[in-house]
Amino acid sequence: MNSVQQTGKKPGLPVLCLAVLIILLGLPLVIMGVQLAALGGSFYYVLFGAAIIAAGGLMLFGSVNGAFLYLVAWLVTIPWSLWEAGLDGWGLLPRLLGPTIIAILVALTIPALRGTSAAAVSSRGGHA
Amino acid sequence: MLRHSLLTASVLCCAAGAALPLSARADDTPPWTAPGPASYPPKKPLGKFDAPSPYAPQAPGVNAADIPSGPPSPPSEATPAVEQISAHPAREDWPVYGHDTQATRYSPLNQITPENVSQLKRAFVYHTGSKPGPGQINKWAAETTPIKVGDGLYMCSALNDIMKLDPATGKEIWRHNSGVKYDSIPYTAACKGVTYYTASTVPEGQPCHNRIVVGTLDMRLIEVDAADGKLCEGFGTHGQVNLMKGMGSSVPGFVAMTVPPPIVNGAVVVSHEVLDGQRRWAPSGVIRGYDAETGRFLWAWDVNRPDDHGEPAEGDHYSRGTPNSWAALTGDNELGLVYVPTGNSAADYYSSMRSPEENKISSSVVAIDVKTGSPRWVFQTVHKDVWDYDIGSQATLFEFPGKDGPIPALFMPTKRGQTFVLDRRTGKPILPVEERPAPQESDVPGEVRSPTQPWSVGMPRLGVADLKETDMWGMSPIDQLYCRVKFRRAHYDGEFTPPRIGQPTIEFPGYNGGSDWGSVAYDPQTGILVANWNVTPMYDQLVTRKKADQIGLMPIDSPHFTPAAGGAEGNGAQADTPYGITVAPFWNQYTGMMCNKPPYGYITAIDMHTQKVIWQHPLGSARANGPWGFPTHLPLTIGTPNNGGSTITAGGLIFLGATTDNLIHAFDLKSGKELWNDVLPGGGQANTMTYEYKGKQYVAIMAGGHHFMMTPVSDELVVYALPDSK
Repeated sequence: MNSVQQTGKKPGLPVLCLAVLIILLGLPLVIMGVQLAALGGSFYYVLFGAAIIAAGGLMLFGSVNGAFLYLVAWLVTIPWSLWEAGLDGWGLLPRLLGPTIIAILVALTIPALRGTSAAAVSSRGGHA
Repeated sequence: MLRHSLLTASVLCCAAGAALPLSARADDTPPWTAPGPASYPPKKPLGKFDAPSPYAPQAPGVNAADIPSGPPSPPSEATPAVEQISAHPAREDWPVYGHDTQATRYSPLNQITPENVSQLKRAFVYHTGSKPGPGQINKWAAETTPIKVGDGLYMCSALNDIMKLDPATGKEIWRHNSGVKYDSIPYTAACKGVTYYTASTVPEGQPCHNRIVVGTLDMRLIEVDAADGKLCEGFGTHGQVNLMKGMGSSVPGFVAMTVPPPIVNGAVVVSHEVLDGQRRWAPSGVIRGYDAETGRFLWAWDVNRPDDHGEPAEGDHYSRGTPNSWAALTGDNELGLVYVPTGNSAADYYSSMRSPEENKISSSVVAIDVKTGSPRWVFQTVHKDVWDYDIGSQATLFEFPGKDGPIPALFMPTKRGQTFVLDRRTGKPILPVEERPAPQESDVPGEVRSPTQPWSVGMPRLGVADLKETDMWGMSPIDQLYCRVKFRRAHYDGEFTPPRIGQPTIEFPGYNGGSDWGSVAYDPQTGILVANWNVTPMYDQLVTRKKADQIGLMPIDSPHFTPAAGGAEGNGAQADTPYGITVAPFWNQYTGMMCNKPPYGYITAIDMHTQKVIWQHPLGSARANGPWGFPTHLPLTIGTPNNGGSTITAGGLIFLGATTDNLIHAFDLKSGKELWNDVLPGGGQANTMTYEYKGKQYVAIMAGGHHFMMTPVSDELVVYALPDSK
């Protein structure tokens, strides 16, 4: 985290890895999600996949908004999961466990991303 | 662009409408007419899928022991029998597969109780010596339940060797080597048990007064002396009868016996399994009676020769492709009946070539008169079955607690999870059965489905509601999504969705049940029924003959057959019909996990006074299961697929293996609470049993494993008892 603050512009390696991971997880969600929607199934996966790819992309460029976008997508997933699976623990597991673990990691990157976002804003401000 | 994903490539696709016309026959013979004698010898070389004529001589090894058969026999009557010990078992015995003639699986022993069951320790382990050798494909699932009579524990190995063990130590007292070869293994190397028989013409103290009867994988009926294991000279030819007599052409492994034959009023009733999915004109599913005393032929029940109860004429054979019965049969000495749970006509997933006679008795329970071989009544559990809902369970007899006194009844559990309760005198339902509309839509030319199917609405269903997209499962949203797409790709109209050519269909319940061969246990004292069952959908699709050829689906009797490409209970050639069949569990083939959410298995207790569920719990833990086949070691009761039946004891306990966590479990009969379990050396896919010897109660299970359930194979019989009190 120190290195992030020292360079002041780019997010650190852990944040980049997480951002790439989120994009990689989003791709199959979008690809198969389109198929599912085309077959008359749920639209949730393609929307969630697109949202987290965008979130990962923003994080890759050091924007804290990426982290917030992921967390919003995750928050929306909770009521959706309850709506689909009710209070059935086995039913909730695939819908919530993985996304929640990622959400915790994303939340941990917010301080670092705040630094890079601020740096990005101030450096842009300097050029203007 | 997005459509070209892995998924698309992984799903078999074949053009709808490419099906062959049903029959290329020029004459007016109906499509269910089997090839006539004119087909042999063949006029031209056989094509890849052509049936070898049923009139062709049996290949070497089919009559494995070269037992001389003699000329065809007319029907005859059994030697008058004495009462068998299974009719009134001694308190400390378990003299027949299902504990007693009724197949209750209930023992009056009560030394082991809910209070002390946690102290159970292994008393001994016995090795049968039968497991896959080097280079042999694992087709093992011994499924054996020993019987106990007096001073002996009698059992068979997966390849039908017969043993008598000391009930206290497991020491082998004698062993009869049956000489069954690996090539004779059909779908599974199983020997569910042996039958104890007391002779009527041999006095006590003479050889073969008490005998052990075994039906073998290579279709022999063997009787040995219970005292020393030597073949009974007075039975058949030097102790053996050739059950391939009159069966027509076959190859080793096509037809096999895996259940202990019941003996009813002196008749040994012989049923056999015929390998599923091979060809329409597979060997017959005929049911036969033999004299328990001498091995003499008594009668045959051959569906398409209903009035002929003798053996077929020289050069002829029992009618081909008829429904076989692979479940254990139940005898009824009082009514002189044997209750036969039947399967499907050969080629399970295509029905247009079945005869009207076959359609009346498939996936049914048929009560056959053991004197004549004629059915007295038939109750059908699935009409025109194309889902492999053959009945795997044994019928259990009981006295139904009716308003005006007890009614002689039987339970017929089914793979559908519908448990039918019938009057065993008439076959009429005691609890209401409703004919409900069933899905009709199919793209298979000429196939007609029954407009309705029977539902046992008076009994709690051993099953769950039809699947929905939201029931799909995984470890993450990604593998869950994969299953949701797979669900939507399939055609699914709920239970009884007919198989299709152009699209996969979901078969739910799957062919593993509901209830399968483990059957049910019934406590006649309290009127409690205990059943364990599965929630395991399958993913089916018919394939054109061309496609079947491409993926290597060949019948077992074809020279082109390779065991790896598909055998029974999975992809099948269904030769002689226009279509092959592909069947797999409805799972994520990349992770090896089922596509539907857990639980995959349950145990249920039902009070037969009220026909209400007393308790129902998921059965089996996640300890030995997980993604990519890795054991999670989690003690979570996820509810696993299960095969094998339970024992109820007067001590108030249920003993059950069956689950894929390789545990033997003890449950409290009252609450269903799991009170004890122990890790077995292999999968516990066998029915448990209990007995008492020299004042001590024992609980036994064959931990043989099961190849289809993917549990570890072992050759160990594991026996438990309470430690000696000090």
